[in-house]
Amino acid sequence: MAEETEAPEQPAGSGDATRRARSRPLGFAITLVIALIVFAGVGLLFHAQAYSSPAGTLVATDVGTSTVKGVALKHVTLHFNTYPDASGSVNGVPIHPGGNPAWPSYGPTNQYQVPAHALVTVTIRQYDSGGALNNAWFDKVRGTVGGTAIINGKVVTSINPNNVGHTFTVRGTPGTDPGFFVSVPLPLVPGDSQTDNGKYETIVFSFISGDKGLYAWNCEFPCGTSIASFGGPMNAYGYMSGFVHVV
Amino acid sequence: MTTDLAPLLLEDTPIGPTAGGLYRRQNVYTGLAAGIFLGFVAWLVAHALWNSSNWGTDMVVTVTMVGWVIGFNLGVGTFNAPLRWMLGHDQTYDDELYAAGVGQGKKRYYKFCTDHKVVGTQYLVLVVVLFAIGGTLAMMMRTQLISPHSSFLSPNSYNAIVSIHGMCMIIATIIMVTGPFTNFVMPIMIGAKDMAFPRLNAMSFWVVVSAIPPLLATFVLGGVDAGWTTYAPLSVQAPPAMDAFSITMIVFVISVTVSGVNTIVTIFTMRAKGMTLGRLPIFTWASLVGAALSIYAMPALLIAFTSMITDRVVGTSFFVAGQGGTGWLWENAFWIFGHPEVYIILIPPVGAMLEVASTFARKPLFGYKVTVAGFVAISALSIMVWAHHMFTTGWAPELAGPFMVTTEIISIPTGIIFLCLIGTLWKGRIWTRLPMYFVYLFLWNFIIGGVTGIYLSDTPADEYFHGDMFVTAHFHYTLLGGAMIAATAGLCYWFPKITGKMLNERIGKTAFWMIAVGIQVTYFGMFWEGFEGMPRRVAFYDPIFQHANDMATGGAYLLMLGWIVLLYAGINSLRQGPDAPANPWHSKTLEWKVPTPVPLANFLVDPVVTSDPYGYGEPEPVGPLVMPAPDPDRELVPNLSSDNPLVRGDD
Amino acid sequence: MSSDHPVVDEPPVLPQGDSIVAGRPFFSRPVGKIFIIWFLMTAVGVLIGIFAPHHLMPTFLSHEGTDVWRTMVLFTILAAPVAAVVYAVAAYSLIGWRHRGNQDDPPEDGPPLRGNSTVTAVWLATSSVLVLVLLAWGLTVYSAEEVSHPGTLQVDVTGQQWLWTFTYPGTGVETRSLVLPINRPVQFNVTSVDVTHGFWPAALGVQVDANPGVTTVIRATPDKLGNFTVRCSQLCGLYHSFMYAPGSVVTSAGFSRWLRSEGASTTTGQATALVKKQ
Repeated sequence: MAEETEAPEQPAGSGDATRRARSRPLGFAITLVIALIVFAGVGLLFHAQAYSSPAGTLVATDVGTSTVKGVALKHVTLHFNTYPDASGSVNGVPIHPGGNPAWPSYGPTNQYQVPAHALVTVTIRQYDSGGALNNAWFDKVRGTVGGTAIINGKVVTSINPNNVGHTFTVRGTPGTDPGFFVSVPLPLVPGDSQTDNGKYETIVFSFISGDKGLYAWNCEFPCGTSIASFGGPMNAYGYMSGFVHVV
Repeated sequence: MTTDLAPLLLEDTPIGPTAGGLYRRQNVYTGLAAGIFLGFVAWLVAHALWNSSNWGTDMVVTVTMVGWVIGFNLGVGTFNAPLRWMLGHDQTYDDELYAAGVGQGKKRYYKFCTDHKVVGTQYLVLVVVLFAIGGTLAMMMRTQLISPHSSFLSPNSYNAIVSIHGMCMIIATIIMVTGPFTNFVMPIMIGAKDMAFPRLNAMSFWVVVSAIPPLLATFVLGGVDAGWTTYAPLSVQAPPAMDAFSITMIVFVISVTVSGVNTIVTIFTMRAKGMTLGRLPIFTWASLVGAALSIYAMPALLIAFTSMITDRVVGTSFFVAGQGGTGWLWENAFWIFGHPEVYIILIPPVGAMLEVASTFARKPLFGYKVTVAGFVAISALSIMVWAHHMFTTGWAPELAGPFMVTTEIISIPTGIIFLCLIGTLWKGRIWTRLPMYFVYLFLWNFIIGGVTGIYLSDTPADEYFHGDMFVTAHFHYTLLGGAMIAATAGLCYWFPKITGKMLNERIGKTAFWMIAVGIQVTYFGMFWEGFEGMPRRVAFYDPIFQHANDMATGGAYLLMLGWIVLLYAGINSLRQGPDAPANPWHSKTLEWKVPTPVPLANFLVDPVVTSDPYGYGEPEPVGPLVMPAPDPDRELVPNLSSDNPLVRGDD
Repeated sequence: MSSDHPVVDEPPVLPQGDSIVAGRPFFSRPVGKIFIIWFLMTAVGVLIGIFAPHHLMPTFLSHEGTDVWRTMVLFTILAAPVAAVVYAVAAYSLIGWRHRGNQDDPPEDGPPLRGNSTVTAVWLATSSVLVLVLLAWGLTVYSAEEVSHPGTLQVDVTGQQWLWTFTYPGTGVETRSLVLPINRPVQFNVTSVDVTHGFWPAALGVQVDANPGVTTVIRATPDKLGNFTVRCSQLCGLYHSFMYAPGSVVTSAGFSRWLRSEGASTTTGQATALVKKQ
């Protein structure tokens, strides 16, 4: 019952067996290339889908050195804002292009860069309305120098938890400086504000940046939709969430 | 009247030029067009009616997806027969033959075709496509995890990829054996001409096809960020993608339940004469048990996802605390489905694997009756273990003990399966062809998967391991290393019968080794991650987990490459492989007794069975199949088409 | 016609070849070779059980965590011989029973061994006994966890998207660091304000989900000083990966000092006991 499974002997360079033998590595190479192209293509699509602000990364401005508790530190400043919707633009650059224009958003970008172990002074203009926090714990200013922030010129350690617009809460990504934590509540603008009317709250605070690495920030005020108002813009990367690159 | 000794093959029956009616113009492309059209119309209507309401977007997405599903199925012809029946214009015999694919050649694979062999082949292609999609998504995840804080994917995209990878693979693994092999092979194995409900069979397939685009559409609807288990209330909070996801699952459940009913009725009512339940091949038993489990478990998922849609779209509060609901309700409903579901995934492939083991050890199955009892016991017990997925939820801590007991007891019938397997290997004459390679790999992998499952069933240990990568490694070992590898054994085994070509063994064996090594490296890497305490479903991790992740990622790339090589082996063999004889493995089950390619009616004459298909080493008194000699005067296939003067009435 | 002794014409014919019960020395028979493979594999498994959990898992800082480690070791040691039986038979089947030669044709059929009720009964009995042992162990460990002790420190854990906060009732202290005194049983009362999170201080060997609208409870007794991390073990949305909180087990004195530095009020009740502890 022996079955002839091999092709009969043929002179080299011709015939089925040789053609098959030559086509196999080529066929395999083609399959592999197609697979890699598919992976790369899908990867590029997903990478492109990841929100990346057209304004790029906001690098903190160097303003010299400062002394905190007797230690001289590099001093940098950052300015950014929180808007009630993403329909506007800052210096001609749209706040969140391709997104939902009705959703509140930080701007001009959600990526910030500061040097390590430096004194960072942040100024935020908060244009949005707000309400009550889910967890009143976030009403306090935490992790800043002196535990204070300057809101509209007044030094405060906390604000009314029912009058919050957003918060700016930063912690290290896993393994990066576990002790680092900054959370500053940003009070709401009374009434139903729009970007146009120009009313805003000014919040200024300083903190000492941690070790080099990636830090994640997000807003802990429920300014979204659905369950606990943490859906919608809160759950979609780029509106109320971003990264701080400490270099 | 035919006086020819050669019987008229059913597929050669001449049918009229209008046979089939609307079917003649319908195929997957008309389905696509109709689906897109009706989906668009549904979108317009929903947009007009509900856009300004609170849940506007959710309602619009839900209605659009429903429109797509109905449109696609209308377009491909799923509803033709019942609609015609309702209109009093039932199908004629010619129409039925056309629906079975007569006279269409290769085109029938793109259409609604009631021939179980065509449906099986269509399922096989769908399964390969689903694994390709799920595998690509897995590669995205592993690429992100190359470094602890990678900027390849945003946290949103990663969570969405995790969820769809999971659900795509679950869909694929549920249908990977019951789709291709239960449909193609099982009816032939029991001596039947087709499934009990051929139209429902085709419907099951096309309904699954219509469920896949909504699943993929989730990526552009905001992404499902709640994992494949979509725990509430996170899933109630999720973007409108979750509505599309829910529609996919509801539609999928309908398909699997219908398919399960079809399988059970077929096995009970369409067995050939002499095929008693005690002579049923183990793969048929496994398909039966899997089908019975699915009609138990699937409805639980249907209820869960229907409630999810109403929670999201009309504001019920099944799962929302503070409005009278609880996330625990979701978890219970989901896992009441979810645990039997893994046995729905596992048992049919194990049945297929045991067929391979018996054939390639040239021995009867060891402990056939005990193994069947084992399958039944596993399924019965699987209904009572679901809350071991909820040990750490805080729900009913007093029930942790009982669920620990039922879960650990399941290891006893599972052990019987291994007894059957090694008993079959014992003193066998092991024929190490490609299908048998995968049997050994299953054995190695499933022991590891099963043992690590025992660790997790211990509640105190689960309090460390729940939600970390150890769990992920465990279920990949059992589902991929176990069920999928067993299914691959079945694929290599039945490849000659389904395709008519022999699978290239050299390429196949290369693929085997890459897959085998890839599985160990990837998932031991994940066990390492789990031991160290890395949580699941994270796009960013603590650098202390770096080495373990390197191992898992490297292994994953090798594993993926192995599957690609296997895919290549299949395609290459299809195009250039040697033709397969009817019974290349000299196996004794009925599907090998019919010619390759298999005729439309499977058997030219109804077979009569006189023994079970495991008579290796035993003298063959009459053989497992007796075919009565054809009576040359008897018309074997009645010609009921209008060409037949007897039918036309003018004789 | 009766006979006192049966007349034996010729000696009984012993079965040849690979017999289990008679003839050749043990280790040259298949059963013997399988035994050797089984023994070696069991040894490897036992060694893995003894060394792997210890090296791969973090240092456990609590009694419950040490129990997890002990469970892993015990279960691996018990599983090793069972897994090894299956592996050894499978391995030997490829050595001693493999059909070598022409692979195109099937080998001749093997012996028609359809079953063996003794083997099946022994297999079932052994697996049942093993399961009973594992169950006894697991249930004992679990019920020990469920016992509440006097003097338990209460810590309220609040999970939210995407941060953990810990409240020490009676002191007014709410912080994002979990600091615990050594050798004092602690009970975590865990809840969430939005979706389901997983409160997972891995080094303490316990976890429980944080569910909105309910409070769930888990207990542990830290018995070693050190730092640990609380991670979230239940996917909770966008920043699930970042839901980490630092934790440490400190001396009682250190704990009181820390509470005071966090602004603990010295009201009566648990607060006084905590703050004034020496």
